Amino acid sequence: MSLTINTTINGKSVSGSAEASTSLLEFLRDTLEYKGTKLCCNTGECGACTIIYNGKPINSCVTMAADANGAQITTIEGLADGDKLHPVQQAFIDTGAVQCGYCTPGYIISVKALLDRTTQPTPDDIEEAVSGNICRCTGYTKIVDAIQLAADKMAGRS
Amino acid sequence: MDYFEPKTVTEALALLAQYGAEAKVIAGGTDVMVDIKYKEEPGCLVNIKKIPGLGSIQENGGSLRVGPLVTIRDIETSSIVRERLGVFWDSCHQFASLQIRNTATVGGNICRASPSGETLAPLLVLEAKAKLAFADGEKTEGFNSFFQGPGKTTLGYKGLLTEIEIPYPPNGSRGIYLKHAVRGAMDIAMVGVAVLVTPDAAKNGLQDVRIGLGAVAPTPIRATKTEALLRGKPLNAALVKEAAAMAASESSPISDQRSSAENRRWIVEALTRRGLQQSWQAATGKEVV
Repeated sequence: MSLTINTTINGKSVSGSAEASTSLLEFLRDTLEYKGTKLCCNTGECGACTIIYNGKPINSCVTMAADANGAQITTIEGLADGDKLHPVQQAFIDTGAVQCGYCTPGYIISVKALLDRTTQPTPDDIEEAVSGNICRCTGYTKIVDAIQLAADKMAGRS
Repeated sequence: MDYFEPKTVTEALALLAQYGAEAKVIAGGTDVMVDIKYKEEPGCLVNIKKIPGLGSIQENGGSLRVGPLVTIRDIETSSIVRERLGVFWDSCHQFASLQIRNTATVGGNICRASPSGETLAPLLVLEAKAKLAFADGEKTEGFNSFFQGPGKTTLGYKGLLTEIEIPYPPNGSRGIYLKHAVRGAMDIAMVGVAVLVTPDAAKNGLQDVRIGLGAVAPTPIRATKTEALLRGKPLNAALVKEAAAMAASESSPISDQRSSAENRRWIVEALTRRGLQQSWQAATGKEVV
């Protein structure tokens, strides 16, 4: 049973068809060709597929594509302004918080959602914001450094 | 697979009646989508998220009414829940990850009826009630009889959970939910223990105590013998120790990839002891000695 999905991704209205069993992640990657959002555990445990859905970070792999109907979605492709990277992206580069990079889009989206809520996150806020994201390369210290740096830049503190 | 987005409870119930065991209700999807990918696709998916009125949190006299579509994050960010229903708030705060809490619903966690379901032991000690809708009428049921086994509730294939009514515990009481897992986030509880204590007026003894155990029996359970042992008595370290051992003996855990049964019993004992100590201290300002 094929469904027509009308949604807004990174401010642009898009449509496509999906099965009821299709996840939002599969719909984004395979139908709409937004390949920046990554498929990893496919069970909602690792955070590689994190997107912002109506203002909130969610795992797109365990969300129905059907639920994208009428929703506002932000993916990693929506962050940079042309060649100018988003401050969160730049902070991940500046602190060396990226190694293989596979988890990075999910992290950056989780962090963007956090910094949309507050530009003065406490250490607990930071930990909570990325507790659903797993990195298997770098360890987490540099990622936390990147989040703090991005927060400082966005609040004009550095 | 057939797919429906009913707009009313009546419409949803008609679909459940039509498809029987082939139908699967979906809300947040954090469990059901995984089943579709890795277990089996149901014959029919009934997405209840378009039914209005099932997603609100409302105070109603001495209780809070929670719609089944309320997300775990909605609970976590509710100041009323945090103030009045601390044991429920604790369980939602420790639930999976932020991404999952933004999607997963309270009703989904309940109807999934996993023995380790995070909110279940807290709802048992709060003596919450489920409002259930069936084709032939509505019914209100306590969670002590609602859960029938892993994945099984009295809803069967026919009913819908339409509201959770949580009475506020007595003034002066304090509750806590303690979870034991390897990781802090994104981990299923090896054991979850919910404790609610109500001290007597002199703050020397327990006027009431309720203990709920998760992940150590086919359903979440109340440790009723332990509660009876404690009720009405002055609380001291020896009694806490005896109660913790009794709670462990009331559990009937299994061994699986997360823990052996023996280890689970030890954890029940430790968390019951800690839960009694911490909730007593929160309620009275005094340590258990």
